[in-house]
Amino acid sequence: MHYWPFWLGGSLLAAIMVLHWLLVRRLMGVSGRFTAIVDALRSQQTPGDSMGDAEYLAALEAATRAEFGEEALVQPAEDQGAERVGGQAVVAVPTGPQPLAAQFLFLGCLVFGGFLSAFSDGRFAVTLGLRSELVTRFFGDRLVGQVGVMVLGGMLVGFGTRMAGGCTSGHGLCGVSRFQPGSITATASFFLFGVVTAFCLHGLLR
Amino acid sequence: MKRDYLGISLVAILFGFSLSRIGFSSWDEVHRMFTFADLRLFLTFLFAVVSLAAAWRVVIVASRPRPSWSPRPIHRGTVAGGALFGIGWALSGACPAIALVQLGEGRGLAVFSLVGMLLGNWVYGLVKERYHRWDVGTCTDD
Repeated sequence: MHYWPFWLGGSLLAAIMVLHWLLVRRLMGVSGRFTAIVDALRSQQTPGDSMGDAEYLAALEAATRAEFGEEALVQPAEDQGAERVGGQAVVAVPTGPQPLAAQFLFLGCLVFGGFLSAFSDGRFAVTLGLRSELVTRFFGDRLVGQVGVMVLGGMLVGFGTRMAGGCTSGHGLCGVSRFQPGSITATASFFLFGVVTAFCLHGLLR
Repeated sequence: MKRDYLGISLVAILFGFSLSRIGFSSWDEVHRMFTFADLRLFLTFLFAVVSLAAAWRVVIVASRPRPSWSPRPIHRGTVAGGALFGIGWALSGACPAIALVQLGEGRGLAVFSLVGMLLGNWVYGLVKERYHRWDVGTCTDD
């Protein structure tokens, strides 16, 4: 198996994050897309639970008025869409959630990218397992056990990334490279605990 | 809107392809990283961060108007959330994007990592509503 050398993989990952910003006008974050999908599914189940867009905007406007007074709501006449901070214009970043279709499209295209890579490399095969020697050695070759480990691991990933507010892309790449304290701390924490867990597995289950 | 979808597709396909070729979608490669048996993945990550830090400077200087990205401060969930994610990453061998890439490579078990991630995310939503209401921010509102 010949994987890409670090300089090639690293520079391409960086280029992809920049491309994401240039084309999508947001910093990339994958776990945030999971959250958007999960919340959308949840609010569909309990319609009374969440506010509609119009209701939300009205509440936001009322809260702004209460907090900052009427003038906070007055739109500056010049260049709509951009605001001025410290004399310099900044892009008005879209902060609302992207449509659900965009979330599914992104995640679906990740699957397709993985397929293209494996297929063009002659590695594509549909297997029940992960095709990992170590998974079999650590957790046995019975699929039931492996499924349990994946569900447990996945749940920790889903819970933890949402709790920390980001994952390897949002915190690890986009946050750390902007020297954001929350991202640096979260990234240090998940790499540290990944290392500790891996050493525990290799020590206990060898 | 159509252009948006084109951009999203292009970036996500490139991202999935690259993660697969880098080896991030291999459980064994990820563990060779975590146990320091092979530093290539760590170096890949480090190289990406350093290149990105330089790239953002260019992006900021070249953009008119200047981009404003939301800050990512430390909050009460930062360390604990990161810790849980780290443990889960070492167990499942997958961070969120990777489960999908593995699926594309035909690795069946990734379905269960993915189900687990959605479930864990959903459970956090429930717990947050009931017990702690601090704002963690998410990476898509940048």
